Amino acid sequence: MNWLQQWAGYLPQMLSGLGVSLFIAAVAIVAGYPLGLLLSVMVQHRNLVIRTLGLAIVEIGRGAPALVILYLVYYGLPKFGIAFESIQAACIALVWNAAAYSSEIIRAGLQSVARGQTEAAYVLGLSGRDTFFRVIMPQGMRSAIPGLMGVAIQMFQGTSLAYAIAVPELMKSAYNIGSEDFNYLQIFTLAGICYAVISIPATWITVYFEKRMSRHA
Amino acid sequence: MAKSTPTEAHRVPRLGIQLENIRKHYGDHVVLDDVSLDVEPGTVTALIGPSGAGKSTFLRCINLLEQPDGGTIRVAGHTIEPGKNIAPKDLARLRSAVGMVFQSFNLFPHMTALKNISFPQQRVLGRSKDEADERAMQLLERVGLKDKAHQHPGRCSGGQQQRIAIARALALDPSIMLFDEPTSALDPEVGLEVLAVMRELAADGMTMVVVTHEMQFARDVSDTLVVMADCKIIEQGDPRAIMSDPQEARTRRFLRAVLER
Ligand SMILES: Nc1ncnc2c1ncn2[C@@H]1O[C@H](COP(=O)(O)OP(=O)(O)OP(=O)(O)O)[C@@H](O)[C@H]1O
Ligand SMILES: [Mg+2]
Repeated sequence: MNWLQQWAGYLPQMLSGLGVSLFIAAVAIVAGYPLGLLLSVMVQHRNLVIRTLGLAIVEIGRGAPALVILYLVYYGLPKFGIAFESIQAACIALVWNAAAYSSEIIRAGLQSVARGQTEAAYVLGLSGRDTFFRVIMPQGMRSAIPGLMGVAIQMFQGTSLAYAIAVPELMKSAYNIGSEDFNYLQIFTLAGICYAVISIPATWITVYFEKRMSRHA
Repeated sequence: MAKSTPTEAHRVPRLGIQLENIRKHYGDHVVLDDVSLDVEPGTVTALIGPSGAGKSTFLRCINLLEQPDGGTIRVAGHTIEPGKNIAPKDLARLRSAVGMVFQSFNLFPHMTALKNISFPQQRVLGRSKDEADERAMQLLERVGLKDKAHQHPGRCSGGQQQRIAIARALALDPSIMLFDEPTSALDPEVGLEVLAVMRELAADGMTMVVVTHEMQFARDVSDTLVVMADCKIIEQGDPRAIMSDPQEARTRRFLRAVLER
């Protein structure tokens, strides 16, 4: 049988898996970026307790493989009476991951804002809050955009790990189809294409932003 | 240059400022060694001296952008003692009374010229957007840049950016303006545009403290010339008198070096 015909047959189930993957990635990003911003502020905070807490969350999120965090959340936390659905556990693990990675990118972005900007805000009498949210953050986030888009792509691909706890995402759909008719080669090729169709254009956009950014620097 | 008289609504009381025994060090390195300066209301003080003398540091101590290690600052009848804890109210009063212009302009690059001038008024003085925009346009006109209102700073020349920065500071109705080498980053001709704005400001009676290497400006515009060297004020007085007949050997050497450049 022709691969294209087979793929057409698989597509509905694959698309539902892709939908779940995109959903988890979206949650990871939408919750992960603001948390990343919060963490980037925490790790620079002058209060030692806040700084240490921030550092711990960031270093675990970046240092431990996402799969380890996923297992800890899904299998580990129930030991403390905290149990999650598999999809919830996947979201939590990836949010953590996204927050940790984006916090480092955001921190670098914020620190790249010229010192003179803070000084200008100070002599104008702007409050600390306005200085951060209206002066520093808009500029720092701008230079963080390419890096943050990289995190988004990484998170989308990272959703495939949720397969390990039976979340019905793209990989799981592919595996289910494969185990029915044993056409593993075709089905995982299709899965790869699905990931690539999203990731590659996203990479192009990132590169476009990087180029634009360096031109305007 | 477009000239407009400041409207009565924005008449601001002219204040002086007294600095006494300002001390500052970085680690073991002394930068300001008991520097005192009395700036009379409505006067222009030009601060000159060799590189590393402590001019910028001193200027930045005036509005506590740099925290002095000791001394007192008196402004509008209030005394601030930087070595000790400063009440937030005193700090806010000082910051609102004193405006500052930097060598590197430091405009907000993500805001248009208009927004650069309008936004701080809204946040600091609580002016409405319309009111702040109107004031911003007035000031842009005054510095001759009304047509740049909707441009971002990146689209403006250095001289234009500096004039916008001056307008931004003026919009908050400061009683005292500090300038740290406002023309040093500019080509000489472009610097003239900025100096023209500053001359007008001085003519309007603004109290100004200006760190500068522009000797002609210092001679023509300033009421007091202050020479700093090696963490101290070594000489101060009438600019023409000092320039034609400096009392200190260090001043003589510095003036000769500047004039030969
Ligand atoms: N943040 C800092 N840390 C350590 N030393 C500093 C710092 N800022 C200034 N200094 C030192 O303080 C001294 C005075 O510096 P300052 O910038 O006030 O001099 P200046 O008179 O403005 O010189 P210039 O004409 O070059 O601008 C210099 O020796 C400088 O190296
Ligand atoms: Mg200096």
